[in-house]
Amino acid sequence: MVLLARTADRLYWGARYVERAEDTARIIRAFNELVVDYPSDELLRWEPLVAIHGSVTEIDLEDDDPAGELTVLRLLIADRENPSSITSSVTAARANLRTTREVLPREAWQAVNQLAQYVDTTAPAAVERQLRDRFLLRVVEVSRRLDGVLESTMTRANPYRMLRLGRLVERADMTTRVLGVAAASILYVERTATGERINEEVRWMSVLRSVSALQMYQRRVRGPIDPISAVRFLLEYSAFPRSVQGCFDEIRSVLVQLPSPQSVLAALDEAEATLRAVDLDGAEPVRLDRAMDRVQTAIAAVDEAINDRYVGSLL
Amino acid sequence: MDELLDPSGAPRPLANAVMELIARLGEGELRERQELAELDIRTMGITFTVYSDGQNIDRSWPFDIIPRVIEGAEWDRISLGLQQRLVALNRFIDDLYNDQRIIADGVFPGDLLDASVNYRPQLRGTSPKYGVWAHISGSDLVRDDDGQMYVLEDNLRVPSGVSYVIENRGVAKRAFAELFARQRIRPVDGYTDELNRLLTSLAPDGCDDPQIAVLTPGIFNSAYFEHSFLAERMGAELVEGADLVVDDDDCVYMKTIEGLERVDVIYRRIDDLFLDPEVFREDSMLGVPGLIRAWRAGKVALANAPGAGVADDKVVYAWVPDIIRYYLDEEPIVPNVPTYRTMYEDERRHVIENIGDLVVKPANESGGYGILIGNRATKDELDDAIRAIEADPRNWVAQPILSLSTVPTLVDEGVEPRHVDLRPFILTGEHSYVTPGGLTRVALPKDSLIVNSSQGGGSKDTWIVDGSYGSTYDPSPPDTPHRPGEPTQTQWQDES
Repeated sequence: MVLLARTADRLYWGARYVERAEDTARIIRAFNELVVDYPSDELLRWEPLVAIHGSVTEIDLEDDDPAGELTVLRLLIADRENPSSITSSVTAARANLRTTREVLPREAWQAVNQLAQYVDTTAPAAVERQLRDRFLLRVVEVSRRLDGVLESTMTRANPYRMLRLGRLVERADMTTRVLGVAAASILYVERTATGERINEEVRWMSVLRSVSALQMYQRRVRGPIDPISAVRFLLEYSAFPRSVQGCFDEIRSVLVQLPSPQSVLAALDEAEATLRAVDLDGAEPVRLDRAMDRVQTAIAAVDEAINDRYVGSLL
Repeated sequence: MDELLDPSGAPRPLANAVMELIARLGEGELRERQELAELDIRTMGITFTVYSDGQNIDRSWPFDIIPRVIEGAEWDRISLGLQQRLVALNRFIDDLYNDQRIIADGVFPGDLLDASVNYRPQLRGTSPKYGVWAHISGSDLVRDDDGQMYVLEDNLRVPSGVSYVIENRGVAKRAFAELFARQRIRPVDGYTDELNRLLTSLAPDGCDDPQIAVLTPGIFNSAYFEHSFLAERMGAELVEGADLVVDDDDCVYMKTIEGLERVDVIYRRIDDLFLDPEVFREDSMLGVPGLIRAWRAGKVALANAPGAGVADDKVVYAWVPDIIRYYLDEEPIVPNVPTYRTMYEDERRHVIENIGDLVVKPANESGGYGILIGNRATKDELDDAIRAIEADPRNWVAQPILSLSTVPTLVDEGVEPRHVDLRPFILTGEHSYVTPGGLTRVALPKDSLIVNSSQGGGSKDTWIVDGSYGSTYDPSPPDTPHRPGEPTQTQWQDES
């Protein structure tokens, strides 16, 4: 089946943006739950969440929002200026997939179109606690529905493979970002909180939950949550589909079915080597954060190789 | 006159079922169904793009749930007339780019051709497959008070709207499921298959399984939705100019992730002048350098062929009845709006004598003169017009003042008559095909005649119904003949 280079590009990015919206929604939901669980005398700050999108933006906190909850969530959910907010991601996903309707199953396009309309009208209100969880859940659900439609109705050919690649590259990247956020937020605990041990466990539960990994982790690692095994699980346990290694494995299986993927496979080999080289050393936050930066750079190189091979060289 | 109601306000027989259902539902439920239909349209992403305030806005397609209904027998005749018209117009175009017999025979004035903005002299001597240039066309029809359907204009370049015909039907089927169950309404879904078949037939000789592409100017074009829709329905590739390249072998290729792939047939939705910067506008970013070269070498088919627009000029319109007679030796089946050419003495005399009842229009599009509506003009203005006609008779045409028919439409005030036109789509190749019905456009403001969707016009599903017109409560089995006493043809039909 013929696939235009331009269409390949739009499928890939359409899928990346849907995944980004979904993962951002998952992370916020998990953090939200953590806030609800937390002892009320402790002020849990929301700023570390901003690190999801890799931006080190300074947040100006307002007097009536000392924990940064509304400010941070406005940035992550509704801010159109932030290219990675849920609103921006969903809008970009729709814009990309709208130009690929001829190769996309109709139901798939409709799912994205409906989500874009919902987000457009609801996102600003979803910053408030009242509507927040319902909104985030809907984003996750539509994204899952989209994958279900593609899984069950789309021919396994190159257009499908470009969508898969977009999903998987973004997912691998987001899992490293979740760990980066975890590192940042635990750093903060160490500086101010007492009763650190209990809170740290609760935080790691939240980290695992944000990639829907808590249950699967607990079945794999019996006993209490410990940081090292949690990080290992998310990075290396390839049987779990949101682990970085799991995404890499699947990226490889998609690539070998695409025409002449050698250059991209080489970049993927590099990324796997970088992942293997991560030295946890007690999951010390600063080290973890730096290691995740390195893995993210390697994933960016895979993205670039995909672009060079399937899109850029022809346009 | 109204399409669905007779002068006393009672439903015409063909509209019995629809009007009875609407009466039974009442305005409240009708509005609920209208809202559900609008929700369907939003969900499915049926949109059109308007350019406004410096940006392109993607708007939901405007749709009124009350359908326009036309009787099958009347439609069959219109359909034949449109096929006839397009066969003749294509013969005309092919003649203009080749032998120009019609000019040599004195039927069509050659100086009109020289003045035409849509004639492309660069293309002389080309003869596309089947001698057909305008493969896909849309002719706008209006019904006057006398009940007669007239062709108001032909669109032979890149006519749009057919995707909405098909989508409107999808929405209407959900809104009025009970009527579709009991009436024989001709389906419209077959269009994209017919189009696919036509495009396939245009492929260069020896190419059995052609690669077809729809060429779009891109996402900012007002008809982008349609381009995407047609590509999707035909399994064709949707390409932009930048996706295509013409190689040294004069073949057209598209850029895929596996390298260059040959394209055999292009349904182009880009205007002539932007198609190929080597031949037409050099500054075009939308087109493909070398595309005309590839077409003339027979390496790729273009639908519609460049230059086809020469026959949808305002000037040419006045000659269409003569064109039909000249090439086919037949009388036109669907009439033109009578158009008097003041360059001919007898027609000029008629115009001058009846100027108060006519619309006088400049014949030359680049003329820049205004349109004069006889019954709204002052005595001085009429006298001025007569002097202008006498001074330069080649520069004017005149037509009777038409009043468009209406269809009941759900508006803020309730269900009220609103003016409509109709754009059927005609495919011409080795064979001809006409959509059953077409796109009914409706002017939503009271008394307005402007049906364009970019200017507040709406649309309706168009039903071609066959057999007896059973009511909702008393459905007749599909194959019973007409009941005695019931007219087999609507009263306005068949003047000729």
